[in-house]
Amino acid sequence: MDGFVEQPAPREEWGSLAPSIHLPLLPCLLHHPVTRGPKETEFQKTKEACLNYIQDALLQNQWQRAAEFMISYLEILETSTVSKRKTAPEAIWRIGTEILLHHSKSNIEELNYFTERMKNLGVKYYLKVCLEHIFYLLCNGLIDEAYQNLTLAESWRYGEQTAAQNDELKLIQAYKGLLDYYNWSKKREAMLELDEENFTDSSEQEMHNFFRQAAVNLKEIIKIPGVWDPFVVSYVDLLEFYGDFDEAREVLTEYAYNSKFPPNPNAHAYLYHFLKRRGESKKSLVSVLKILHKTVPSHELMLEFYTMLKKSKKDKKRRLGLEVIFEVLDFAGWKENVKAWSCLAEQIKQILDNSNKHLDWVKEEWNSRKDWWPAFHFSHYLAKRNWQENEKLAYEKALLAGILLGKDCKYYKYVLHQGCKAKKKRFQTLKKFVKKHNSAYLRITACSDSSTHL
Amino acid sequence: MDARRGCRQLWVSSRLRGFCHLSQAWLWELPLGMLGERLHEELALQWDQLLFDDAPTGGALAWLPTGGIGASRGCLLHPAGPAMDQLCFQDVVLAPGEDGALRPCAQGSPAQFKLSGRVRQVSATQVDGAAFVGVRSDYHCGAWRLQPGAVPTPLQVVRTTSPASCLTVSPHLPGELSLCTHSGAVYLWSVETGLQRLCQEPETMFFRDASPWRWSEFTAHPRVLSYADRTGVQCLDVRAPTQARRDLFKVGAEAGCQRGERVVLPLYLGQAHPAQHLIATQFSVYVVDERFPLVPALRWEHMMTVPPIFAHMMPGSPRGRSHKVLLGAQRTQELMLLQCTGGSTSACQLVGAPRRLHTIADGLQYLPAMTPHQLDWLHQRLGMPAAGVTATLGRCGPLESMLVFQLSEAGDLFYQTLLHSQPADSSPERGHADEPSTSPSLQTPAQAVQHLPGPGTSCGSGTEGEEEDRMETYLSGLEVLVNEDSEDEDSGSAGQPTDPGAQGQGRTSPNQTPAPSPAIAAQYRRWLATLSHAWKHLAEPAKPRVPLTLSQRRLFTRRELGQVPGDRVLHQQARRQLRRAMRERGLVVGCALGSEPSPLPLPCPVEPQAWPDDLSERLTASWVGGWSNWWEEQQGRSQARQARVRALREQRRRRKRARGLCSLSGSFSSSLTCQSDLSDFSDVSAWSVGSRAPTPVPASPQHSLAPSLSGQDAPAEPWPGSPLACSTQLSQEPGGSQDPGTPSQLLSSQMLRLRGVPRERRKTLRDYLSIFTESPVEPPPEVPSSQASRLGGDHRVPLSQSQASSLGGERHVPLSQSQASSLGGERHVPLSQSQASSLGGGQHVPLSQSQASTGSQAKRKRARMGF
Repeated sequence: MDGFVEQPAPREEWGSLAPSIHLPLLPCLLHHPVTRGPKETEFQKTKEACLNYIQDALLQNQWQRAAEFMISYLEILETSTVSKRKTAPEAIWRIGTEILLHHSKSNIEELNYFTERMKNLGVKYYLKVCLEHIFYLLCNGLIDEAYQNLTLAESWRYGEQTAAQNDELKLIQAYKGLLDYYNWSKKREAMLELDEENFTDSSEQEMHNFFRQAAVNLKEIIKIPGVWDPFVVSYVDLLEFYGDFDEAREVLTEYAYNSKFPPNPNAHAYLYHFLKRRGESKKSLVSVLKILHKTVPSHELMLEFYTMLKKSKKDKKRRLGLEVIFEVLDFAGWKENVKAWSCLAEQIKQILDNSNKHLDWVKEEWNSRKDWWPAFHFSHYLAKRNWQENEKLAYEKALLAGILLGKDCKYYKYVLHQGCKAKKKRFQTLKKFVKKHNSAYLRITACSDSSTHL
Repeated sequence: MDARRGCRQLWVSSRLRGFCHLSQAWLWELPLGMLGERLHEELALQWDQLLFDDAPTGGALAWLPTGGIGASRGCLLHPAGPAMDQLCFQDVVLAPGEDGALRPCAQGSPAQFKLSGRVRQVSATQVDGAAFVGVRSDYHCGAWRLQPGAVPTPLQVVRTTSPASCLTVSPHLPGELSLCTHSGAVYLWSVETGLQRLCQEPETMFFRDASPWRWSEFTAHPRVLSYADRTGVQCLDVRAPTQARRDLFKVGAEAGCQRGERVVLPLYLGQAHPAQHLIATQFSVYVVDERFPLVPALRWEHMMTVPPIFAHMMPGSPRGRSHKVLLGAQRTQELMLLQCTGGSTSACQLVGAPRRLHTIADGLQYLPAMTPHQLDWLHQRLGMPAAGVTATLGRCGPLESMLVFQLSEAGDLFYQTLLHSQPADSSPERGHADEPSTSPSLQTPAQAVQHLPGPGTSCGSGTEGEEEDRMETYLSGLEVLVNEDSEDEDSGSAGQPTDPGAQGQGRTSPNQTPAPSPAIAAQYRRWLATLSHAWKHLAEPAKPRVPLTLSQRRLFTRRELGQVPGDRVLHQQARRQLRRAMRERGLVVGCALGSEPSPLPLPCPVEPQAWPDDLSERLTASWVGGWSNWWEEQQGRSQARQARVRALREQRRRRKRARGLCSLSGSFSSSLTCQSDLSDFSDVSAWSVGSRAPTPVPASPQHSLAPSLSGQDAPAEPWPGSPLACSTQLSQEPGGSQDPGTPSQLLSSQMLRLRGVPRERRKTLRDYLSIFTESPVEPPPEVPSSQASRLGGDHRVPLSQSQASSLGGERHVPLSQSQASSLGGERHVPLSQSQASSLGGGQHVPLSQSQASTGSQAKRKRARMGF
């Protein structure tokens, strides 16, 4: 328990006394301790210093200097320390790749050569080196070379080392599957461009081969818990093309709802889009989005969710719709989203026009927000800014401010004033509307007041 | 008391004695075991704190732009004063310097507030047009509001019973802050409604960790706070704090953490992306998305030597420019600049290579030369741990600058400016060691970016650093163009804190302008003088202390000390001298201590003949340097052998004399050495091979060397000191007045033999050298070609001729062109021409001279290729 005492902050005039220099006490008295390990040999010390220089050069983007130091750092491979000998090849691989990636005079051939050498230097991370190399090739648009490398890496066998790098091997296979998918989709595009008649059987056969290879590998990686967005999307695309919708649905459901997987909002979105493409019932769509709403209330799909709920005839769903749209606007990222604001304004207008039947819903939602929404959304400063930047936004927000906070609200007053000054007709209607529903405002506040008193 | 007397240290340390007085009444009643345990605990605590002090986490420096982000003026918030307990609000204008980079200029004197504790953290955010500032010291936290054009107003202060560890200001709602204490409590502090305790958990979240440090930041939802301890980060709903919380980040396998990794600093990146958080650990930096918890969107190992406890983020522009993140460490002052993009439509990724910025202490090398004492003070002063980092972006015309401010624990404030360089254009940043005006190109960050996947919007902000610091009257921008800083301390050393005209004192780096402008130099000198003055009068406990030692009184009696041995007058004089030197901190020169000591008399020389025994002979021999000879002599049994040995020695001596002469003359030879000569051949032949058909086998032994000499490491290459080298060198010095003999003398077979030239080579050498015996001024026209044909075979002649012609200005000879191309396009024509002419050649360049010129050509070429 901390006791807090409020005090007025003391304030003094400044510049009262000529200040004297104050001096640090620290450096002389305290020498910062350094933890020590076993004594190092001269060789290790030299190489350590060299490594520091390399790091320094890398961090200052002096690639040439780093490369020069790197030449002498290579001797670390001959170190007698066991631990160093294990880690040195990896360090050399990482630093060397970094330098080659950035050095102005390096080219792809050099990097390929370096990578080949590195693969032989350390079998312990052979596949990692391969993966890194493949990414590099892909980034440079060398898809075919990358594919060759993937094929080579996939068939790499080195006793126990292969088993130890099982995870990397899976990734290699998955990326190979992804490239197969890429080739497949290129074929598909070609096929769609041509007429059905011109598309030969052999091409179709080829395409099917790509499909099989891709499907096998992609399916494999998706089984492991993890985040596999690109793989899942490609796999589902393949399945959909060949009409295997059950499998696709199963994959997506598993990906979204298996609790072993990390909570991935994208998985829900993929499932939703798939179901939508399939023309599934609204009920199943809503149930998917409902779960998404619970985990990520600020998701982009929430507006869509709201639109679906709004059309529902059930009160419960429409109630949920109001909740969804209110909650979306809680988030800073949606603060200036005109669409969300007009949805909320429309919904509330509807409720008011509907003889205030569901005014208690609004009251409930407002109740938990009335202490911070005014400062968060309806401040005088925001009124000025919204009016300058986006008149439509200011209009929608002013409408809500007038209803939720009454016609004395600063936001409402400012925007209305500006709107009337600019002789915009709809602000006149706005004024009339708010005036007409002043009773609703009174009811909302009254209810919330009473509820706070309760 | 007896025990105390036994403790020797008490006699010297008054502090210990004072403690003893205080505690002697009760200290002995404590059980020793318990006392030792407590002491051990305390020591462990202190040790941990020395290793890593988390109190200043977050940093005590903040920049508030007035009039929106990117404005050219703002307010710099920083602590000042000897105890860092004065909070200053200093208005600063960013004015472009001569080179277009922005520099801060202080406007007026700062608004200051005296607080009741050391300022640990200053956090500030702009909400609704006003700025809200939270200031944390150990037991007090305060909130201020700063409205444009108004004096900052203090709003509220709270006092805590356990030290506060975090205070952040809400970016969503005005006047809202979150506060954590070491007791594990999190409070939402609203200036209007007061404090609301959200939770209190003395235990850490995911696994046990001893650290009481807690942190909390705001999130995308104004009613949800993030709550961090060393083991992870959770999201905490203010409206229902007791309900289950969502895990945002967990130290462990999901995030790919290392063993022993701990959260050091979370930072909400709301300005960049509303759902992103930056989480720094000792090893890595993570970017975590609230919507996708537990799996970091980005992970990068920062490789800093100490954990980063300061971070600052500057949002990129909406056009896909990257966000800039600064990470700062405390003890080592390290400063790292990262750039990242993505978050909503594209994946989060780093752009370009991370970059290390200058630390405060880096500026030391740019300061003018100082005495070692001053250097020592400055070194300590500038090497103080950092206390805060902040930065701002500004634009002046086409140039975008980033100003990075750093605060040290002594209260000194420094800045450095980084200039943005467009990826496409070649004008790059200036490296800190370069002149700003010419801006030579180092590497552009853009180059680094090109290899990166994804949106290649590389906005590498090129950097360059110029740092300067300011004092409390901030210094302004001044004319310090330089790269680095000068420093000032905050309490105006020059002592006019009230002077509104900012005094900058910066100083220029030696490489920019050799002499700083007089005003700045004067400022700097004044500051330095104040610093040194203050240093001398530093309070006793603050001075570096010698370790506690025994008093000498315990080792010597007073009488012993009082006795002065030896010459009384001389010693007194010497002592006076020494005292004065110590007072003035000057040097004591030997002669100042009275009479110079007379040099020791040399012992009388030993006559070797007087000591005929074996041992003495041996000693004599080794003294003279011929011990091994003596030993051989001893070993040699027979008289005949001894005689032969003597003859050999005679011969050797003669040869040595000869060699001495020629090495002397060799030192006069020009840059042409034997080595380059021979390797020139190799180059020449390589050229000819490259440009025409395979060469015939050379005739002479010397030329048989040439093709095999590939560069420097040819095994058959003669060593430079060899007689052969000497003779060729000599031969190339037609005008050398130091020649021991005429060329014809050199060619006598006796001479050659003396120099150890094998018989089979003598003829070749003589042939070769005979070129020089002819007068170089008027060579018979047929001699060069005939010589050349004899020397190098047919292929060599056209080559040298074409070279000669290329020297003579005929560029159209195809051969020389091909040579030029084989040289990579570098023709050192002017050089070889001048050499040729200096060697006395007219248009008809003799062969040897053309060789010389090719030699220089080849030599240069090799030097270039060495890169």
